[in-house]
Amino acid sequence: MGDFKLTTVEEFEAATARLLETGAKVGADSWQLRVKNQTPHCKFGEQGVCCRICSMGPCRITPKAPRGICGCDVHGIVGRNYLKFTAGGAATHSDHGREICHTLHCTAPDGNYKVKDPEKLIRIAKEWGIETEGKDIYDLAHEVAVEGLMEYGKPFGHQRFLKRAPQHTQELWEREEIAPRAIDREVASSLHMTHMGCSSKPEALIRQSLRTGLCDGWGGSMMGTEFSDVLFGTPKPIDTEANLGVMVAENVNIVVHGHDPSLSEMICEYADDPEMIAYAKSVGAKGITISGVCCTSNEVAMRRGIPMAGNFLQQENVVLTGACEAIVVDVQCIFPALGPLSKCFHTKFVTTSKIAQMPDSEFMHFTAETAGENAKAIVKMAIDNFKNRKPELVYIPDMKQKATVGYSVEAIKKTLDTVTNSYVDETGTTKPLVECVKSGVLRGAVAMVGCNNPKIRPDVAHIELMKKLIANDIIIIASGCSAQAAAKAGLMNKDAKDLCGAGLKRVCELADIPPVLHMGSCVDISRMMILAADIAKDSGWNISQVPVVGCAPEWMSEKAVSIGNYVVATGIDTFLGVDPYVCGSTEVDNLLKHGIKDWVEASYTVEKDIDKLVDAMIDRIEEKRTALGI
Amino acid sequence: MTLFDRAFGGSSEMYAWAEKSVAEALEKYGADAAVSLPSTAYSLPCYYAVTGEKLTTLGEVKAALEGKIKEMMTRKERLHNVFQAGIATALAAEIIETMKYMDGAQPYEEPYVGHFTDAMIRELGVPLVTGDIPGVPVIINAAPSVEEAVALVKSYQAQGNFVTCVGGICDQLIEAGYNTGFNVRVTLMGKDITSAAHVVSIALRAALIFGNITPGDLPNLMKYTFERVFAFVNAFAPVDDLTVGCGAGAIAFGFPVISNDMESLKGMNVPKSLILQPDTEKFNPTSIEARDVKIKVTDIDIPVAFASAFEGEIIRRGDMQVEFDGSRVDCFELVQTKEASEVEDHKIEVIGPDLDEFEVGTKHSIGYIVEVAGRNMQSDFEPVFERKFHSYLNCIEGVMHTGQRDMIRVRVGKAAFEAGFRAKHIGEVLYAKIKNEFDAVVDKCQVKVITDPEKCTELRHNLAIPSFDKRDDRLRTLTDESVEVYYSCILCQAFSPSHVCVVTPERLGLCGAVSWLDAKATNELDPQGPCQVITKERVIDERTGEYEDVNEAVKMYSQGALENVSLYSIMENPMTSCGCFECICGIEPFSNGVIIANREYAGMTPLGMTFPELASMTGGGVQTPGFMGHGKHFIASKKFMKAEGGIERIVWMPKELKETVAERLNESAKELYGIENFTDMIGDETIAEDPETLLEFLTEKGHPALGMDPMM
Repeated sequence: MGDFKLTTVEEFEAATARLLETGAKVGADSWQLRVKNQTPHCKFGEQGVCCRICSMGPCRITPKAPRGICGCDVHGIVGRNYLKFTAGGAATHSDHGREICHTLHCTAPDGNYKVKDPEKLIRIAKEWGIETEGKDIYDLAHEVAVEGLMEYGKPFGHQRFLKRAPQHTQELWEREEIAPRAIDREVASSLHMTHMGCSSKPEALIRQSLRTGLCDGWGGSMMGTEFSDVLFGTPKPIDTEANLGVMVAENVNIVVHGHDPSLSEMICEYADDPEMIAYAKSVGAKGITISGVCCTSNEVAMRRGIPMAGNFLQQENVVLTGACEAIVVDVQCIFPALGPLSKCFHTKFVTTSKIAQMPDSEFMHFTAETAGENAKAIVKMAIDNFKNRKPELVYIPDMKQKATVGYSVEAIKKTLDTVTNSYVDETGTTKPLVECVKSGVLRGAVAMVGCNNPKIRPDVAHIELMKKLIANDIIIIASGCSAQAAAKAGLMNKDAKDLCGAGLKRVCELADIPPVLHMGSCVDISRMMILAADIAKDSGWNISQVPVVGCAPEWMSEKAVSIGNYVVATGIDTFLGVDPYVCGSTEVDNLLKHGIKDWVEASYTVEKDIDKLVDAMIDRIEEKRTALGI
Repeated sequence: MTLFDRAFGGSSEMYAWAEKSVAEALEKYGADAAVSLPSTAYSLPCYYAVTGEKLTTLGEVKAALEGKIKEMMTRKERLHNVFQAGIATALAAEIIETMKYMDGAQPYEEPYVGHFTDAMIRELGVPLVTGDIPGVPVIINAAPSVEEAVALVKSYQAQGNFVTCVGGICDQLIEAGYNTGFNVRVTLMGKDITSAAHVVSIALRAALIFGNITPGDLPNLMKYTFERVFAFVNAFAPVDDLTVGCGAGAIAFGFPVISNDMESLKGMNVPKSLILQPDTEKFNPTSIEARDVKIKVTDIDIPVAFASAFEGEIIRRGDMQVEFDGSRVDCFELVQTKEASEVEDHKIEVIGPDLDEFEVGTKHSIGYIVEVAGRNMQSDFEPVFERKFHSYLNCIEGVMHTGQRDMIRVRVGKAAFEAGFRAKHIGEVLYAKIKNEFDAVVDKCQVKVITDPEKCTELRHNLAIPSFDKRDDRLRTLTDESVEVYYSCILCQAFSPSHVCVVTPERLGLCGAVSWLDAKATNELDPQGPCQVITKERVIDERTGEYEDVNEAVKMYSQGALENVSLYSIMENPMTSCGCFECICGIEPFSNGVIIANREYAGMTPLGMTFPELASMTGGGVQTPGFMGHGKHFIASKKFMKAEGGIERIVWMPKELKETVAERLNESAKELYGIENFTDMIGDETIAEDPETLLEFLTEKGHPALGMDPMM
C-alpha cells in the first residue's frame, strides 16, 4: 500500500559519514572525534560522587573514603549534585519563559511583535482574574506580561498555573509541600540548600528537586509556551519536511538554532520579505531557505511550517554541508564547536543573546525592541555571504521526509472534535481519546521527549522505541529533539499509519493524524502536562492512573532533569535511557526509582537497554490498564 | 467485562455454532458433498474475499473452519486481534448460513431474502457508485416498538438508502405489513444473527466486482470497504455477545455500530465506531453522521415550481400578496457557521406570523438565518453562500428577490400564496440548495425564518450587522501580501478561451463577481473546478506585481496564449479581459491620467469613445497596454494600477459610478496620499465630456495626476 518508507538510522549515518569526509578535507573537528578523546568518562562524575562545592575539596567518595572533609556522605553529595543539576535546568527553561514575558510586554499594534492570538490572551487573563472587558488587547497583553513576570519573584503564594491541575494532583503537591512558589525563589533556595553546610539529607534534596522541577513545568516553561502562542499564534496542524535535504543548494541557507522563538520568528518574517528575496536573487541565489535545528526549529515548524534540518547532534552537519550561509543561534544546546567549525567554511556563526556568547562567533545583539532591524541585518549578512561559498565543498544529503506537525492541546482537541458525533458527544474535550483508551483501541500513550546523547547511538532509541510502541497501539506525543528524530525518520508522515497496530491505525485514519504527534519544543512539554491534566479531568482518573508514561531515552541536558522531575511530580512514570549521575548513592537512586512514588504516585525507571526499556513501558501501561479494569 | 472480552466471547460462540452446523451436515451428507450458495461465482463469497480460496465441499469447509478461521481467532488484547476475530465471526456465520442451503434447500421464503445473487449485487453497483444509494443500514434486533421500527426503516428508505434487516426487526415489519423487497430497497435478510453474513457478502463481493480487489488481499479489502462502502449497523438493545462479535467484524470493515444498549455496552463507546445513542429516534441522523453518508436532497418540498426559468420573473405590485422591504423595515439574510451539536439537520423554524396572517399587499420585516455545520466549513464561505440566496429565491415560481445582506426586498405573488406558499418554504428552498450545492463543506443545515418585527429589528442590529462588519474587517485585513496564494479564475473561458483572471485579495475578478474569498471557496468546494491555486513565491517585480509562478499559471491556463501578466500595471503586461468586465479604464493623455467607464454608462467619455467603443479596444483575452477591464470594487484598491502611481491617476468617471465608489475611494486616497475628498477632484459627464474642458477642471482642482510623470 503506497510506497512510503521510513528513513533508517543507517541512512542517517551514511549521510553523516559523507559529511564528515568533507569535514576531514577542511580539517574540521567533530563531536564524534571529541567523544573519543573524552572516553572513558570520569567514573566519579558518572556516579555523581564528586563534590566541589567548597575549596576544602574536591572530595570524592570511595569505599576507603566514605565521607568528604565536612563529613558529608555519598548520599548527601549525590543528592546535592542532583538538585544543582535540576536548578540549572529549571533556571534555563524559566529564563526562556521570562524572555517571552518580556517580549509580550513589548508588543504594540505597529511594533515588531504583535498579539497574534488575542483569544488565548483573554482566556489566560480571565484564568488569572484579570479584568478583560473593554480593555485594549495590547493594554491587556502588557498587564498579563507584568503578572507573568511577577510569578518569578512574588513574595507569597504558589504558581498560578497549578490551578490547571486536577484537584487530586494539587492536593498531593500541598500534602508533600512541593507546590512551587516564585520561580526564582525555588531556584535560589535550591542553590542555598546545596551550599556548603546546608542540606545533606537525600529526602530533603529530592523533595526540593521535584519542587524546582514543578516551578519550571507549571511555571516558567508553561508561561514560555502559553505566551509564545499569544505572540506567534497557537500551533495547528501544518505540513513541513525534516532532515538535511530541506536545505536547498541554489538558495541562501539560513539555519536557526536554539530555543527562543522571538528571534527565529523575526528571521522568518524577513526571509519572506520580497525585498530580501530580490536581494538574494541579485547575488545569484534562487531564493532564501530558512531551516531549523533543535527547539527553535520546532517552534517555527509548528507555527510556520519551516522545515527542520535536524536535531541536536546534527547541528555540526548543517555547517558541514558547505551550503549554510549563516547559522543564527539564540540560547541553549548550541555547541561552542560551531565557532571553530564555521571558520573551516564560509558559514557565519551568529550569536544573538547575551546569555549565549561564544568565541569565533559574530555577536549581533538581538532585543525585542530592535528585533526587526536585527533580523533584517542578519538576513542581509547571510545573503552577502552567499558569494563566499566554496562550491567544491557543497554536499547536501538528498534525504528528507514529510511531516505534519503543530499539535498543541488546542489543536488536539479540535482534531478530536472531528471524530465526535454531534447527536451524542460534547466537543472541545479529550473524551474521544479517553474512549479509545478505555475500549482498548489505543492501549495508552507515551510522551517522548529529550535530546540526543552520544552515549546512545543517535536517534536509534527514539525511533526504535516509537516503532515498537505504535505497533502496539500506543500513541505518541513527542517534543524537542525526540520529535525531530521522529520527523526525520518519517514517523510524522500520515502514511506511517501503516506501521501501527490496527487500533492506532484506525485512529489515525479517522482523525487524519500521524501516529506520532508533534507537540513542540522542550519548553512545550508543559503542553503535555496540560493534556495529562485534561485527560484526567475528562476521564475521572487521577493522572497517575492514566495509561500514560513519559520517556527520555537519549537525554543529556540539565533541562531534561528538571523536566523529568516535573513530569514525575505530576504523576507520570518516567523512563530514562541515560543515568542522571545518581548511581553512586543507593539512597538517592532508590528514592528516585521507588521512594517518590509515595509522594507523587510516580517514579523513574532507568534502563539503558532499549529493548528492555520499551517493554518496560508497555508493561507499565498494561499494568495501569489492569488496575483500572479496562 | 471489557468490550474486547465480549467480542472474543461472541466470536467463540459463533465458532462453536459453526462447528456444530458443519458436524451435523457432515453426518448427513459426508465430506465430499458439494457446497454452494445460489448464483454466485464467488462461493463462499466472504471466505473467498478474505482468504482467496473457494470452498466447494463440506470437507473443505470443515478444514477451513479448523484451519484459517481458527487461526484468525487469537485472543491478544489488541484491536488487530479483535478485528481478526470479528472477521472470523462473519466467516463462521457465513458457513452456518451456507449449511442451510445444503442439498439445494431453499431456507428463505418471501419476504425473507437471505443470500444475494451476483446479479443483484451488480444491479446495486451503479446506484452505489453514483450515490443514488447513499448508504446501507444494517438493522439488527427488534426496535422498542413496531411503530419505531417502521419509522426508522422509512426514514432510511426515504433518503434512498438500501436497508437490510436482521432478526426481530423483520418480524416487526411483517407485523406492520410494511412493503419490503429488493426493488423498494428494504430487505429482510433472515431471523438469525448469522444472516448478517449475507450483508457482509454484499459488501465484500462489491469490493471484488467493482473494486477489483484481489481475493485474499485482506488489507486492501478492508481499505476498500472502509473508504467506499457506506454501510453501518443499528443494533437495538439487548445486544448479545454474538452480535458484539459480528459488530467487531463490521467495524473492522469500516462500518460503525450504533446501539441503544446502555446497560451491557455502558462505557464501551468508541469514537466513530461504536456509538451509544439512548434515543432511538435519533438513530438515523446519528448513523448518517457517524458513517459520513452524504444524503442527496432530490426534490424541494414546496407547493410551487422551482427552476432557473423563473429567475427573471418580476412580481408587480398588483400581483403581490405580501412584500418584505429592507429599505423600509428591518430585514436581513445571513449564513452562520455553528458547531455540529447546535444544528439539527433540516430543521425549519418560522418565528413570527406566517404569510396568511398578513393583509394582502402589505409590507413587513423578514430575516432568514441559515445555520450550517461541517468539518470543512469555514466562516469565509458564509458570504459565498449568502450571495447565492438571490438566485435561489428568484428561482421559486412567484417569488422575487433583490439585494443582499440587510438591504433585501422579497415579494411573494398572489398565485404562489394561493398555491400554498408559506414562510417555511423559503427555509425549504435555502436548505435544499445549500445542502446540495455545498455538500463538500456542509454536513448539517437548519433555517430560521423570522417574521416577528421586533425580533427582526433586534437580530438585524445585534447579529446581522455585527457579522457583516466583522466580515468587512476581515476583508480589509486581507491584502495581497498577507495571503499565501492567489487563485486563477477561468469561469468565462467558455466564450473567451484564452482569458485567465488572476484573483487576489486586492484585485477581484474583472466581472466583479469573484472575490479572492469566492475563488478560495470555489476551489475548496470543487478542487478541479475553474479556480485553481496560484502560488506567489517567486517575485519578479514587486512594483508591477509580476511573479514567475503567476506567469507559469497564466501560460498554462491560457493554453499558451499569454506568457506574462502583471497584476498592478496597466502599461506593462496588463491583465487581459474576457469581455464581461464591469468597468474599463483607459489612458487620458492630456492629463497624464486615466478615465474609467462602467458598463451601465451610456454617454460619451473624454476619450471620445463610449463604453462599448472602449470595450471593443480590449477583451477577448488580448493584452492591450493602456486599457484594462476590471471590477467596480477594484477602483478603491490600493493596488489599482499601483505601478503607474495608483488611484491618483483617476481623472474622470461617470457620476453614478463615482458616487458608488466615493466612500471607499476617498478612504484609500486619504490613506495613500493624505488627500481629503479625492472624488471632488475627479471629473464626470456633468463637468466634461471632452479632454480640454476636463483639463481645465483638473487644473482648477489641482488634481495630482497633472504633476505626475507621463505614462507613455
